[in-house]
Amino acid sequence: MTIDLDQVSADRTTATPAWLLQREIGLCPCGCIGVRSKKNFIDKTITGASSVIRHALFTDDIAAQPGLLQRIEPRAKAVTMFSFVVAVAFLRNIPVLLGACAAAVLIAAASQISVPYFIKRVWLFVPVFTGIVVIPAMFSFITPGHIVVPMGHWFGHRVGLTSQGLRAAGLVVTRVAASISFVVLLTLTTPWMRLLGALRAMFVPRMFILVLGMAYRYVFHLLGSVTDMYEARKARSANVDRSVTSGRLFVASTAGALFGKAHAMSEEVHQAMVSRGYSGQPRTLALRRIKPTDVVWMLVCAAAIVVMLGVDRAVGR
Amino acid sequence: MLSVAEPVLAIDGVSYAYLDRFAALNDVSLVVHGGERVALLGANGCGKSTLLKVLAGLLFPDAGSFTAFGSEVTEAALEDEQFNRGFRSRVGFVFQNSDSQVFSATVRDELAFGPLNLGLAAAEVEERVRDTLSMLDIIDLADRAPYQLSGGQKKRVAIASVLIMNPEVLLFDEPTAALDPRTQQWLIELIAELHDAGKTIVMATHDLESIDHLADRCVVFGEDHRFVGAGTPRELLADGELMLAVNLIHERTHLHHPHPSSVPSQLDEPDLGAELAGHRVRWQDGAVQSP
Repeated sequence: MTIDLDQVSADRTTATPAWLLQREIGLCPCGCIGVRSKKNFIDKTITGASSVIRHALFTDDIAAQPGLLQRIEPRAKAVTMFSFVVAVAFLRNIPVLLGACAAAVLIAAASQISVPYFIKRVWLFVPVFTGIVVIPAMFSFITPGHIVVPMGHWFGHRVGLTSQGLRAAGLVVTRVAASISFVVLLTLTTPWMRLLGALRAMFVPRMFILVLGMAYRYVFHLLGSVTDMYEARKARSANVDRSVTSGRLFVASTAGALFGKAHAMSEEVHQAMVSRGYSGQPRTLALRRIKPTDVVWMLVCAAAIVVMLGVDRAVGR
Repeated sequence: MLSVAEPVLAIDGVSYAYLDRFAALNDVSLVVHGGERVALLGANGCGKSTLLKVLAGLLFPDAGSFTAFGSEVTEAALEDEQFNRGFRSRVGFVFQNSDSQVFSATVRDELAFGPLNLGLAAAEVEERVRDTLSMLDIIDLADRAPYQLSGGQKKRVAIASVLIMNPEVLLFDEPTAALDPRTQQWLIELIAELHDAGKTIVMATHDLESIDHLADRCVVFGEDHRFVGAGTPRELLADGELMLAVNLIHERTHLHHPHPSSVPSQLDEPDLGAELAGHRVRWQDGAVQSP
C-alpha cells in the first residue's frame, strides 16, 4: 500500500505551522567554541547495560566451543564444580590452593577459554577486593605474631606485618581465587539456561528455576528498552545538559515508563502461558541422560579432590 | 475434525471494556465455522485484538456469550481442569508481540511448554518438538535463547509454539505486521497450508495487500467497536466507501494487488470503480488509485 505524495501535498487538509515550513538556522558544527563533555552517570549506566548484553553473548559463544567442559552434561559439571568449591574450603595450605588454581587454568585451556581472559576474570576483581578486606588482618595489632615487615612503633609497641597475618591473608585470597576459578569455569562453559536446568539436580524447586529463567530472559528485553529510550533522548539533545537534576528526572521517568511496560508485558506473558494450558504447575522437559563420559569425568574429579585433600593433610599446616 | 459447516466458535452480543471505562467491543456477534479463514479488519484500537483474546478464552465479556465447540466458555467453566485442557488444546493463539509469547529459556523449552502443560508424555513432546522445529526450518535455533533471535525468528518460534499443540482453531493477531517481505510470504504460505490441512483460522489484520490470500471471509470493525460489514476480501476491497469509513484506506491510498493474476476479472475494467466522497477510485494496473 502506498500513499500518493503528490496528491498529499496538493490536497493537504492539516494545518502546518509556518515555522515548520521554514529552514531552521542550524548551529555551527565546526566545534570551535564547543566544550567536550565527559560521560555522565546515565551514559555510564547505559554503556554498562549494553556491555551486559555483549558479555552474555560472548560467554554463550564460549559455551558453544567444542572444549573439554562443554562436552560434559551440565548436571555432572555443576555437581563436580561445586564439589571442588567445597573441597577448596577445607584446604589449609597456600601451595595446595595455588595448585588448585593452576589446575583450573589448565581445565580452562582445555575448554578453549582464553587463559589471559580467564585469569583476568578470576584474579582482577574478587581476590583484589578480598585482599583489601583482609589487609587489616596482616598487621600485628590484629594478628599478633612474628613481625616480618616492621612499620615503626605505636604506643610503645612494634607495629608491622606479621608472618601469621600474611599467611592468613594469603590463605583467604587464594581460597577465594580457587573457589571463583571453579565457579567461573562452570558459568563460562555452560549456557545460563542449561545451568539453571542443572540446578534441578541439586533439588532446587522447578518453580524457582522457571521464575529465574524468565527473569533472565526479560532482563535483556528491558535492557533493550532502556537503551532505546536513552538513545531516543540523546538523539533529541542538541544542548549538553550537565545538570544532575535533569539526569535524575530522566532516570525517574524511565523507571516509571519501564515499570508500566513491564506490567503490561507481564500480563501478556501470563496470557500467553494460560493460552497454552499453564495452570500454575510448571512442567519442563526431562533432563538429558548422563553419558559414560560424564561418569568418567565425575570419577576423575572425585579422585582429584581426594588427592588434593590428601596432599593438604600430608603437607600439614 | 469438525465439518466445514459446523460452527466452532460463536460470540453473541459481546461487549467488553477495559477497566470498565474504555470500550473495546460493543455488541459484537460472530460465528466461525470449521475450516474457515476469517479476517477481522479494522483500524488501530477498534477491538480486533480484544476479540481474539475473548475467542482465546483469555478475556471474558462484560455482556453477551461466547461458545466454543458447542459449550459456553466462561471464567468458571475454564476453572474445570478437563474443560480447560480440552479448550486450550483446540484453540491456539499467536500473539502480535512475539516477545510476550516467547518467554522460555530456550526455543526448545518454548516449544515443549504447551504440550507438557496439556499433559503429553515427555517422549511424545520431544518428538513433536523435533518435528515442529524441522517443519518451520528452525532446528538451528533449538538451543538459542530468545534474546538472540531476530523479529522474524521470534515470530517463527511463536507460531511453532502454538502449532506444536496441533489446535483445531488458530488465532493470529496481526500475523504479518513488522515482518520483512520474505517472512511475510512464508507466513502467508504457511497459513494457506494450515487451511488446506483443515484448520480454522481467525486473524486480526489491516494488511489489505495480503488479505485475498489470507482469508475467505472478512468482518469489518468500525471505530465505534461494532461490526459494520462482512464479505469476501474482494467484495470488501471493492467497497471503497466502507473501507474509507472504517479508516482502512485513505482517499489517496494505492492498494497494490500482489499478484496480477488474482485480480478479479470484473475489476480489470478500468472504469469499474466506486465514487468515494468526491474521489473517483478505479482499478488500474493492479492498483486502486484516485486519479
